[in-house]
Amino acid sequence: MSDAPALVVENLSLAIGPAGLVDGVGFQVAPGEVMAIVGESGCGKSVTAQAIMRLLPDAIRQTGGRILLGGRDISAIPERAMRAVRGQLMSMIFQEPQAALDPLTTVGSQIAEALRQPLGRVRGEVLRMLRDVGISDPERRIDQHPFELSGGMCQRIMIASALISRPAVLIADEPTTALDVTIQAQILDLLRRLAIERQTAVVLITHDMGVVADIADRVAVMYAGRIAEAGPTAEIFAAPRHPYTALLLASIPRLSDVPKSKLAVIEGRVPSPSEYGPGCRFASRCPRADARCAAETPPLRPLGDGRLTACFHAEAMA
Amino acid sequence: MNTLEITGLKVHFPGRGGAPVRAVDGVSLSIAPGETLGLVGESGCGKSTVSNATVGLLSPTEGSVKVLGTELAGASRETLRAIRAKAQMVFQDPVTSLNPRMTIGEAVGEPLLVRGLARGAALREQVGALLEEVGLRADHASRYPHQFSGGQRQRIVIARALALRPALLVCDEPVSALDVSVRAQILNLLVELQARHGMSTLFVSHDLAVVRHVCDRVAVMYLGRIVELAPRDELYSEPRHPYTKALLAAVPEPDPVTQRAKPRVPLEGEIPSPANPPPGCRFHTRCPLAIDRCRVEEPAWRPVGAAMVACHLV
Ligand SMILES: Nc1ncnc2c1ncn2[C@@H]1O[C@H](COP(=O)(O)OP(=O)(O)O)[C@@H](O)[C@H]1O
Ligand SMILES: Nc1ncnc2c1ncn2[C@@H]1O[C@H](COP(=O)(O)OP(=O)(O)O)[C@@H](O)[C@H]1O
Ligand code: SF4
Ligand SMILES: [Mg+2]
Ligand SMILES: [Mg+2]
Repeated sequence: MSDAPALVVENLSLAIGPAGLVDGVGFQVAPGEVMAIVGESGCGKSVTAQAIMRLLPDAIRQTGGRILLGGRDISAIPERAMRAVRGQLMSMIFQEPQAALDPLTTVGSQIAEALRQPLGRVRGEVLRMLRDVGISDPERRIDQHPFELSGGMCQRIMIASALISRPAVLIADEPTTALDVTIQAQILDLLRRLAIERQTAVVLITHDMGVVADIADRVAVMYAGRIAEAGPTAEIFAAPRHPYTALLLASIPRLSDVPKSKLAVIEGRVPSPSEYGPGCRFASRCPRADARCAAETPPLRPLGDGRLTACFHAEAMA
Repeated sequence: MNTLEITGLKVHFPGRGGAPVRAVDGVSLSIAPGETLGLVGESGCGKSTVSNATVGLLSPTEGSVKVLGTELAGASRETLRAIRAKAQMVFQDPVTSLNPRMTIGEAVGEPLLVRGLARGAALREQVGALLEEVGLRADHASRYPHQFSGGQRQRIVIARALALRPALLVCDEPVSALDVSVRAQILNLLVELQARHGMSTLFVSHDLAVVRHVCDRVAVMYLGRIVELAPRDELYSEPRHPYTKALLAAVPEPDPVTQRAKPRVPLEGEIPSPANPPPGCRFHTRCPLAIDRCRVEEPAWRPVGAAMVACHLV
């Protein structure tokens, strides 16, 4: 793993009308590394991914921050140049592979398209890629249409088409959420192997702490448009220092807990962007919150063990 | 008497290509009073079809479904209506389960009103008590579903299901549409209600950790059949069927140390179509252990220790 990050997101802020959706999100991903962004629905994971790809819907504006790809700031380059970046330097896969694939085009032609070549010219390369993503009988599959394939196979096709041009960065937005657990395990193994073999920097977006534990080298936990805590996966899971991370982990039923025991609960519900107020956005649900938490925004600060935590009481959590 | 007794249940749907879809193809299970039985398996294995047949929403193609001793297969309308009061269902999606034009008080009180069990002030009082029982307030009764979050709506759906004090609660993926933090609230509520009312529950989920948390016994389904049924601790500590083992190995556990040390049980290929299930053991096309016998001979459903298993090699 080389040290220069493949992707740097700096202080990214996004808004819709007057409401801020994402506030000062930043992270880096090195070649061959899997970085997970985890959080409950609506916390801003997908819009962050769309902003990195410069694929934000019209209603959402980037109000601050930079995105560096291989050291180059891509946040302001023209759309024409951005089109060359997408697919060549940076690719994205989604939750619903069937919806992302063109139903009328064969699997082989869609993968060849990522190379901007007719299938005839790159057939051998496409077959190799299909084999590499674990598609059995690639000679037959290459000429099939997406509807002839299962969800798991379609996700493999998406991965093949995203990675065949050897991009430096892969953004995977809930790539296994629609799949069954046995298929999910296969796809996660595949992503990990390809990240290492091809030295791809992977940003993996998920709501599932189990997926993070399985595959991520580092993790950023998001809450209400901000990063609550980020750092090496092992450290964050072993000793969460943000009350939200701690409660989230304690609220999940585990194969090792006492059946029917009371699970930790986070009272209330996730706020929507129009309800984001001053102070820590978790304050209204946080058992440790005091007057300062409600008034001031806790900065995301290093705690000295490679992690960053945005909580005034992080030291007390140790 | 068991609260639920299902024997040799088959539910087939007309298929597109002529062959019927054998959604449920020979399922037997029972639930004792006060017991919670988990039904797990991957999507399309027939869990919802079993649930729907249990509350009389689907009629069996073959076999028997008895709730409190009363047969649902071929039952008259009146019998079905009487049984539905005893067996209530909670669905996955709390948004589509509630009529947006009814106040939640009307929704929760409807089963009582329709059956002439309460009205006026007595109904209001019972509705208020039901709402409080699921962690809402009595004065929420005049509000509409859209004024509530997903988790609160699932509480409303549960209050409605409890209104008739059913002997059997059928929960089909009751927390699958909810976020993690809300899921814990609803699971705690379900465990608490079970303890308080002692009702029997059929708890359907694709999530093995959730099922372990709330159930006493667990049935694992694959392609329309149950492959293993065992007491909870037995099933999780000593899974016997190769499919149960593979499922447990595939659950991503929220602990990097355990998760990364876990041996993978790679399953070949994909789940076959229930319109054309494989001969012999239905799992043989994906089973890491399959031998020639598995490809031709159906494994018998037989007791092994405290479990029931269908596998030649167990
Ligand atoms: N196209 C859009 N128009 C308006 N609001 C949006 C749009 N996409 C997302 N949002 C809002 O932005 C916030 C973050 O959404 P999203 O990034 O999709 O969350 P996540 O992926 O973490 O579930 C949510 O409040 C959501 O409602
Ligand atoms: N009304 C129906 N008509 C035809 N096929 C159906 C119908 N309902 C379910 N099926 C099929 O039956 C099988 C089992 O479905 P289901 O019981 O919903 O599974 P699960 O709940 O385990 O995901 C699936 O193959 C599904 O496509
Ligand atoms: S009967 Fe054979 S194919 Fe079926 S689960 Fe057992 S070993 Fe595998
Ligand atoms: Mg999303
Ligand atoms: Mg279902």
